[in-house]
Amino acid sequence: MAECHPAEEPTPPGVAPWARKAMVGLLLALTVTALYFVTQQLTVGLAVTGLNRPAYWGLYVVNFVFFIGLSAGGIIIASLVHGFGLQEFRPLARLAEFWAISCLLLAICFIMLDVGRPDRTPFYVFWHGRPGSPLIWDVVVINLYLFISLAFGYFSTRSDLVRMMELEPRRRRLYRLLALGYTDCSERALARDQRVLRALALVGLVLAVLLHTVTAWIVGLVIARPGWFSAIMAPMFIVSATVSGLALLLVSAVFTRRVLGLAIEERVLRDLGRLLAVSIPILGYFLFTELLTVLYTGKPSALKVFEVMMYGRYAPIFWGILILGLMCPLGALTGIVWPGMRRVVVSGWILATPVIALLAAHLEPRAPEFVARVSAALLGVAAPSPWLVYPALWLVGLPPLLLLLSGRWAVDIRIGVAAALPVLGVLGERWNIVMTSLVGYAHLPYPPPAYFPSGPEVLISLGVWALGGLLYALAARFVPLVELETGPSVPPAVSLWPADASEVQPAPRVS
Amino acid sequence: MPLWGMVIDVDRCTGCQACAVACKAENNVPVVGPVEAARGRAIDWMEVLDASNWKRVEWAPAGDQDVPMWFLPRPCFHCDNPPCTQVCPVNATYRDPEGIVAQIYDRCIGCRFCMVACPYETKFFTFRRYLKEGPGQNPDVTVRPRGVVEKCTFCHHRLQNARERARVEGRRMRTGEYAVACQEVCPTKAIAFGDLSEPGSEVARLAGSPRAFRPAEELGTKPKVIYLGRRERHG
Repeated sequence: MAECHPAEEPTPPGVAPWARKAMVGLLLALTVTALYFVTQQLTVGLAVTGLNRPAYWGLYVVNFVFFIGLSAGGIIIASLVHGFGLQEFRPLARLAEFWAISCLLLAICFIMLDVGRPDRTPFYVFWHGRPGSPLIWDVVVINLYLFISLAFGYFSTRSDLVRMMELEPRRRRLYRLLALGYTDCSERALARDQRVLRALALVGLVLAVLLHTVTAWIVGLVIARPGWFSAIMAPMFIVSATVSGLALLLVSAVFTRRVLGLAIEERVLRDLGRLLAVSIPILGYFLFTELLTVLYTGKPSALKVFEVMMYGRYAPIFWGILILGLMCPLGALTGIVWPGMRRVVVSGWILATPVIALLAAHLEPRAPEFVARVSAALLGVAAPSPWLVYPALWLVGLPPLLLLLSGRWAVDIRIGVAAALPVLGVLGERWNIVMTSLVGYAHLPYPPPAYFPSGPEVLISLGVWALGGLLYALAARFVPLVELETGPSVPPAVSLWPADASEVQPAPRVS
Repeated sequence: MPLWGMVIDVDRCTGCQACAVACKAENNVPVVGPVEAARGRAIDWMEVLDASNWKRVEWAPAGDQDVPMWFLPRPCFHCDNPPCTQVCPVNATYRDPEGIVAQIYDRCIGCRFCMVACPYETKFFTFRRYLKEGPGQNPDVTVRPRGVVEKCTFCHHRLQNARERARVEGRRMRTGEYAVACQEVCPTKAIAFGDLSEPGSEVARLAGSPRAFRPAEELGTKPKVIYLGRRERHG
């Protein structure tokens, strides 16, 4: 933990130990609560959830898809560092590997919570697995990806673990166990580690693309569901996974820096913020393409689903994602990481308002009652015409944007908050993808459905989230979350990294 | 090899729900109770849907009284190209050679992918153990455990019984010997059941009628439950 290498000058000291303990206590309480409800779910059945017909899938599957996505950021950054020698992100590599592994574990937790027979699932998917099912493809890819992530984490952490054996003799055995007994730190062994890492980085990147593609196919190949059945699902999943994964990494990096006081420089956060700011518009592009295709062609079934999403019950989530989850953080990150852009962002945001109003006035409103409802909520009066509502929605994003752009908070905190928004935004997007299509359209004349997650369902999901926090706390306690060489306390006796260039220069035996 | 199928004449259906009740009794379909039903978890292998407002041309001004009432009895459609069996990860649901789409309750892991993939919402999940084995149930039909998917089987046990009886008596199974519960009880004979591949059979003849339609046919599922109705009801 932090005591291994005292914080550098620019790094804040982190919070007091009691505060950290309180956080862990809260997480533990959430997890234990969830465990109680898990036992209830195991004894009663999925009846404790809010699932019904046709909302066969609910919060658990939304979370499963979301966590699969979150694991993307980890492997991307780790691959960039170890496979492509991008040294800028070196301090984040360990954290990235950690999230790649633990988000996958949490996703597996969610899928095990979702199935009706968790007693059969882990065995039957192997004994009776049907190669034609996208779920089986996902099982295979998730397992491969987990294996690769674990191997990645192992080979990049091994030398630090060996060093921890020296630094903390009391836990020598633990670190030896974590290093799987392979404590050889000769230059030759380390060079071999680097070669393995480079190979794993390439495999990992390919597998990451495959993972999100296959997860997208679970919904994208279902012809019965109008909102899902779309070829754009796979690329859109890859991009939204990248956005949420990078955002999570950024949030946790800020957290690690502020709360644990580990040496992650502000420069690194800015660089990652740039990467995130660039990837958000790509997601916006895919969303826009899909939306335009549906709204322009107006195929009744798909249109119905999108009307439920944009003007129906899930409209707050849709507009919330669009404005607070994507546009606002995009503007904020742009203004923070490229300070020269600050005025452009704010004036652009304000200038866009009349354009949106004009567009709204020009286009016929699809759902007048939605406009009436939103205007009643936002403006207090029923809007005389739709042109007021959309700019009002748009202007909701202005105060948070100005808050994030103003210099009142430290830069890293502002980056962290701006990165937390797209994490939540992508969660909402997953909800809208999974749920609207299930409840939005039926091919036969069924009465209108309703799904709302039940209390136990929400608490169990929160508990799994808390479990992720506990995993993080555990990792922070026992594993150096930032690679040790970046700290100044490198004992001269153990010269593990003799030259910084050791992994940049290609090893001779690798083609 | 026969290809079992059903033809339902919606112009004859009075919406009396006898088929739904017969199915419940025949197949040990649990009564989930009012609370669970209000949550949208009722299990009806055979369900009579009110189709009055379905595919109605909306700009025709019509008060509620002017809408002619009509019903859509909905069993599993036993698609010839079933989307549910395509996605099952463990082969728990499959199309048997005679065209019946079946579910293996002891194999199902309850992932509900097949329910999601079914355009007609004809599969059901046992959210809790609704029914324990006991007297008054049909001994030929398994009582489903908790956490699995169940569905209409075209009263498959009746096919097995009819076959066995024919074999014991040393003859071939006669046409009409295999009848499903909903068809038997229909007071207006709106439901016909039989072998679609047999050229002279009643269902094959009715399926060729110009009044025949299959809902959401454009999905390529090829349902083997075919509806007969006046043209304006096809939508």
